Amino acid sequence: MYALIKREIQDHIAYFVGAAIFSAVFIVISVSLTHSKGTEDPSIFAIGLGTPVATVVILGFCAMGANQMYTDKNRKISAFLSTLAVSRSRILLARIITGILAILTLLVPLAVTAVVLSHLSNPPIPMYPGMVLETFTISFLMAFACYCLGLLTGWNSSKITPTLGGIVLTCILVPLIFVKGFGVHIVVILVLFIIASLLRAWHTFMTTSL
Amino acid sequence: MKPLINYPVKVFATGFVVLVLLSLPLLWIRSACETSLIEGMPRGAGYVSITPSRLVPPELENDPNVVSHSSVYGGRYTREPLSLGIADYFRTRKPGGRRSNVYLFESKGNWMYFDKKSGLIVHYYVDVPILPPIPQPGRINRPMQSVQLYIGPEGVSETQDKTLGRFIDPIINRRFDGERKLTLYDKKLRRFFKIDFNQRTIIKGPKLKKDDPHKPVQIGKLSKNTFLLNLSWQPPKIKATDEDKNEKGPPKPIIPTDDNRDAGPYLLVLDKSGRIDLLDKETLEFAGTAGRLPAPQTYFPSKDYVTPRDLLDYQVLPLALTTQFFKDPEMVRVAFGDPSYSPERSPFKVERKYLGMFAASVSRNGTAMALAVFDEKGREIKIYSKLTKQQRGRTTSVRSSKAVFFETPWAPVFTIGKSLAENLHPPILSVASYFTASAFEAASGHRALFFLPNSFIAMKGRDYRGNFAERFISGLWLILPSIILAIWLACRVSKDAVVFGLSENARLYWIIGTIAFGLTAYIAYRLTRLKITLVTCQNCGKMRRPDMAKCHRCKSDWHVPELIPPAWRVLNGTEQVPEDSAADAEETVAE
Repeated sequence: MYALIKREIQDHIAYFVGAAIFSAVFIVISVSLTHSKGTEDPSIFAIGLGTPVATVVILGFCAMGANQMYTDKNRKISAFLSTLAVSRSRILLARIITGILAILTLLVPLAVTAVVLSHLSNPPIPMYPGMVLETFTISFLMAFACYCLGLLTGWNSSKITPTLGGIVLTCILVPLIFVKGFGVHIVVILVLFIIASLLRAWHTFMTTSL
Repeated sequence: MKPLINYPVKVFATGFVVLVLLSLPLLWIRSACETSLIEGMPRGAGYVSITPSRLVPPELENDPNVVSHSSVYGGRYTREPLSLGIADYFRTRKPGGRRSNVYLFESKGNWMYFDKKSGLIVHYYVDVPILPPIPQPGRINRPMQSVQLYIGPEGVSETQDKTLGRFIDPIINRRFDGERKLTLYDKKLRRFFKIDFNQRTIIKGPKLKKDDPHKPVQIGKLSKNTFLLNLSWQPPKIKATDEDKNEKGPPKPIIPTDDNRDAGPYLLVLDKSGRIDLLDKETLEFAGTAGRLPAPQTYFPSKDYVTPRDLLDYQVLPLALTTQFFKDPEMVRVAFGDPSYSPERSPFKVERKYLGMFAASVSRNGTAMALAVFDEKGREIKIYSKLTKQQRGRTTSVRSSKAVFFETPWAPVFTIGKSLAENLHPPILSVASYFTASAFEAASGHRALFFLPNSFIAMKGRDYRGNFAERFISGLWLILPSIILAIWLACRVSKDAVVFGLSENARLYWIIGTIAFGLTAYIAYRLTRLKITLVTCQNCGKMRRPDMAKCHRCKSDWHVPELIPPAWRVLNGTEQVPEDSAADAEETVAE
């Protein structure tokens, strides 16, 4: 299993490097906003720069899932690996774990930065208790849901469906955060969505003939 | 390879993914249509006013010098994006917000919050002494210092102490005045408390009995969403006199009017049922009913009594008359509201008289408003938002909730667009919306994904006219296109299921599922259908599945021509036919 995950990481190292770079970009934005002393409203700057970067990141996770499945579908990697002492379920599991690791590569440093910055600002009272946890939990779930969409759309022989389908479905799903906010409702919807997507991806992957 | 997940699980998983991904674009379409409808409504239909306001004493209202009578005005802003969940999340969690435990945060030197862990309210402030220091009975004069107080139901202390007790679910009067007094109600302890920060005392009100119908949800400043509704009151105005040296200036209020509009000796308490009660500030006991939240006239008439959850927004404005008596017997100051005064010129006696209150509300979908005036005895005068228009030389008025859908330019287009988007929603969820029409909080209805409390069928669900059967059939009539679409799609699924050889049971489930979930089920069916190439049956000539032993149309077996090995062999050089094989071949042909 470890060897499979390692191999998946090696095959998709570009996504991990991208996640680390974007994480660094977000950290720089957060730190500079915290210490900005200009007269302009920093939230406008944050929204202006953060929105396109976040869009690229989310689409990137979808692309990662799609890339994993598309490569497998067309190069028959799992079919080849199944001839070895590896089951197909393990291949998919390793793939999903790799996706989660890539998302965490982006979000964990950001979450740590947010916690550190909130402690540094040293408010006399807990102003927004639980907000960091809620926002990062939902960001993780949304990124993982988009990754799952990539898994679903990537299992295709043509190039159009994984590319356009992934982008369109991601663009439909991500605004759910704007609609529902960071409350409990979106957690329930996203968890159910992820379970449903993984079940379908699993079923499709396991039932496809070698 | 044997699948680990069976077919129904795959179908449900696919169905849910499709439902989410289909519901989101439909939500945006509905939202765009609703916003366009409200934005397109003329300004005249978006406000209500009452002139004169009827709460001002006649001697002031009918004064001969009055040039404009008192009036109360309620106007609705159209800020649809604020109903989005992300805006609501941050707005309600910021200090002072509905879901924030931070009641006050003016600076690092003045804040107050509820500490859930200890169950205490913590208040930090810089105690500024009154200059010049005037000794007042019962007042502790101290030099300027920062103070941090811990307040529990049993007392006030500078140190966190278990003897202070614990608040569990407090709601405070957000109209935190400069007197450093705070009234709060604990929903679990079921009693009111009055905190005096200067005296460092807490007064407990009587505990409400278990069978007491009062269930306060908000006290003091009664409003839901300050971004949507503007309620204001203007006192009677008189022409500026020569003494003012401003004769050409705008009219001035007949008596001074203070912005701090309190209910005099009372505090307004909003009940869960929508009733507004008067709480005596001194005894902390209920002193009567002030009125209730007015119910706007919706497109389909709904119940007259609304709760805070049923309204997108509401605001309540009390009116009181304050009379201040000073040591000079000729010096009496009368003012609307609760004016503050400097310590040097403090009155020796203050009389506060409650005159009544104004309450405005916005309907669940934001298309209608109501404004009500309640006098000091709770008697009501109510009006609704209307669109006034000229038609064939006559002035007619239409309810704003009706005008918004049909009377304004392009309104029919957006109304039909909204209706079509609702009809692409699964019929079973539309029917569920009918039954759960009033169950959801009004603001959350604007971001509903599966149940649609603002849909036409849900509006019909809140209609109180007629009997249940009539209402339900009318509701079904509103989603008739959705039902027709679902039946048509079910027919297509049924035909396709026959072609693909699904079992009778599977076909029945798919038909029921498609009628219930409409387009969602149809897309799910197409995505989960077997991806196999059909072949022509040699018996019936129809398409049959190659992976089944018998044709699912005519139940005939496969007619597989038996492969007969040739009776000849090509050997080196000459052809040799063995005798036994030639005989076998002949027998086979004969058979």
